[in-house]
Amino acid sequence: MHPSPDISLADWRAGLTSRSAEETMALAGNFLRHFPANTALALHGDLGAGKTTFVQGLARALGITTPVTSPTYAIFSTYDSPSRQLVHMDAYRLGDPSEADELVLWDLLREPWTLVVEWPEKLGDRLPEGAWHLHLHIAADRNHFLRLIDCPSV
Amino acid sequence: MILAIESSCDESALALFDPARGLCGEWVHTQIALHSEYGGVVPDLASREHLKNFPALLHCLPADFSPAQISRLAVTRGPGLAGCLALGLALAKALSLAWQKPLTGINHLRGHLFSPFIGLHAAAPEEFPSRFAALLPHLGLVVSGGNTLLVELDAGGKVTVLAQTVDDAAGEAFDKGAKLLGMPYPGGALIEKIAREGNPAAFDFPRGIPEKTDPRLSFSGLKTSLRYKLEKMDDATLASALPDLCASYQGAIIAQLLAKTKTQLRARRFASIGLSGGVSNNKTLRAAFAALAEKNRLPLLVAEPKHTGDNAGMIAFAAFADAALPPPDTANWALNFAPSLTIDTP
Repeated sequence: MHPSPDISLADWRAGLTSRSAEETMALAGNFLRHFPANTALALHGDLGAGKTTFVQGLARALGITTPVTSPTYAIFSTYDSPSRQLVHMDAYRLGDPSEADELVLWDLLREPWTLVVEWPEKLGDRLPEGAWHLHLHIAADRNHFLRLIDCPSV
Repeated sequence: MILAIESSCDESALALFDPARGLCGEWVHTQIALHSEYGGVVPDLASREHLKNFPALLHCLPADFSPAQISRLAVTRGPGLAGCLALGLALAKALSLAWQKPLTGINHLRGHLFSPFIGLHAAAPEEFPSRFAALLPHLGLVVSGGNTLLVELDAGGKVTVLAQTVDDAAGEAFDKGAKLLGMPYPGGALIEKIAREGNPAAFDFPRGIPEKTDPRLSFSGLKTSLRYKLEKMDDATLASALPDLCASYQGAIIAQLLAKTKTQLRARRFASIGLSGGVSNNKTLRAAFAALAEKNRLPLLVAEPKHTGDNAGMIAFAAFADAALPPPDTANWALNFAPSLTIDTP
């Protein structure tokens, strides 16, 4: 089932349920319609909650054909598409937010960009201002629940 | 001799390779001991660590070392962490300028791909070209914390990606599984240790994309599957089931690596199989691949443990063995780091 295109920002704030990886990817495509360029998206959720799947959905919607794989070891991966540069970051291995400065990431960003950060709490004050926050979690019925908890620029 | 520099991630490393003899020296400044103090999380990814390490490593070169012995320099240009790569490149360019030696940028992943051939060369350097040629086309499985790749190295030296993971790497599946089981991160090696006492058939874990003809690998489903199993267990049940859980989890990863390697062996002809990268240290995986190679009557080449992690030995060797590399350049100032370099680019 593909989510209908008329999902509003209010629906995202109320929370949406996904029953499969495919549905999570389709929801990510919808999310992108609401999400402004040159903004960071903090993805909150435990291991296996579907964070990488969500990013794969963003990449698919942007027309990126190279496989989006986990950036845990490399800290971040960049993907170029005609409409936007997608940067997928996993801050899990950072010991301290200041280590983010050593990644040269900020110099590699090319507008218009979308930066998605897994384990954003590890970035601390290095998370770009105006970041949106999306929570993913697995509900008791094993469906995945996605909820936008903060979108300061709207 | 070739002097190689590696700094793609946490390790600072140097190596000297003599085409007529093999590797003459390898030096690694490892931060692993430090990592475990911090519960396994990398305490400092900072490039400034490399800045401290490399001068100390240069002092480790043999007392009789002289730049006159060096014919060229090799340095990892990617993939890896941008700041770390940049520092290695800066050192390589500085040495190239000071010593007036040509410099070649090396792809770290191709270092892994060629690493199983280091021993072949060392055994008989003068016979290496003909022995190496007889093992091509080669099917290489590069399997580590950041990568899971099946690639072909053909008779012309061209590297083609045949299959790769669509989500997590195999080593990451080990480490994240270990984290879910409450072990310190990265705990992949601990899973292997505990798995020795367990039954790999005790639990059912997903084995990726089931279609035999589909080359793609996928490991992300393992985490979710393990989570669901753990949710149903109390602490006492988990403690008694831990060996079986580890053995089954590891078994599912290895079964998938085997199945997708078989997919390639069915699809085309190869003269040898290679195993490299950090996960290739797993003894159960090595045994499974030894059996697979024997069944297919193909020689299996496995990287030595010291060449499975981040090391400069494999970078020096790739500088020697990778036929697709451009000729070394004496004034290679344009050489730049490439954090997202793929294995099919020299």
